[in-house]
Amino acid sequence: MLFTEVRGLPVLAPEPAGGGPIGTVSSLTVDVGPGSGAVSHVRFRDGRFGREKALPWDAVDTVGPGAVRLRSAAVLETPPSHHDLLGRRVLVDTGTEHGTVLDVAFDTRTARVLALFTTRGELPAGRLLGLGGYALVVRAG
Amino acid sequence: MDELMAARSLTTRPVVTLGGDAVAHVKDTVCDAAAGRITGFTLTGRGLLSGPLKEALPWQAVYALGHDAVMIRDRRGLVDAAAMTAHQQNLRLRLLGARVVTGAGAEIGTVLDVVVEGGTGGRIVGFRVAASRRFVPSPARHRRRVYVPRGETLTVAGRSLVLPEDTVRHVADDLPGFTALVGGVPGRWRSSLP
Repeated sequence: MLFTEVRGLPVLAPEPAGGGPIGTVSSLTVDVGPGSGAVSHVRFRDGRFGREKALPWDAVDTVGPGAVRLRSAAVLETPPSHHDLLGRRVLVDTGTEHGTVLDVAFDTRTARVLALFTTRGELPAGRLLGLGGYALVVRAG
Repeated sequence: MDELMAARSLTTRPVVTLGGDAVAHVKDTVCDAAAGRITGFTLTGRGLLSGPLKEALPWQAVYALGHDAVMIRDRRGLVDAAAMTAHQQNLRLRLLGARVVTGAGAEIGTVLDVVVEGGTGGRIVGFRVAASRRFVPSPARHRRRVYVPRGETLTVAGRSLVLPEDTVRHVADDLPGFTALVGGVPGRWRSSLP
């Protein structure tokens, strides 16, 4: 599934707690290490002006279709530090820019990032190196 | 061959870790006594009002010098700026404005900028020079700017750079032409001098 498809989906509380919506997805936090990336948190907001909260990936039961369903309501009121992948500048480790991230494809079961789509073409997840406040760094191809 | 860049264009280039965080901007380039390679960079902070940093970036800590950023592994590579600039001077003090002459004593011009090779080498490959009239005749009032290769044997004598005779036989008018010149590619950029 794509990050842009997940953004805006309603977050549904677990069945025992009623299963009602508790907010909409605002972004996904990704842990980037050398050679791989995985979604670690789902960030959501209750209403347009609500404060942003985060859910660890373990609390998520299913992503899509049409909603993010939770397994447990382990909401973190103070979300961990976060660098949004979408729109982030991409730097090759040789020090040259490679456009910005347009979208990210990930596996909804394992949370692993499969591929990135940038303004300068597609990047496999195996080329990821690190994600920081300035840029997403990828290995030269 | 890696991309060539003018040392002045390195100023304000961000210093980015492989983790994707920008830690500083390049303030100035530091080179060794023989003007053969880059030995490091002095840094300024990232903020609008932040001044020069007390830390500097030695060349050993540089992962790659690229077109858009200087890549480093992590912050731990930075060293104390005073220690690095104690024996070496930055380019601005040391080379810019220096006279360039040949071994035979012919005046070539004054250094405007230093051309360095990107990537992992950090070699200084040439100089952008405001050419003296005798070296490159120019019809206009201004002296012509040409790129002169450094050559293998260069002597630094005070504020003068002494180049061997045959390295200045060919000069280039612009950076792409100079890339071809030092890369050894023949083409129409090559303007032979009398």
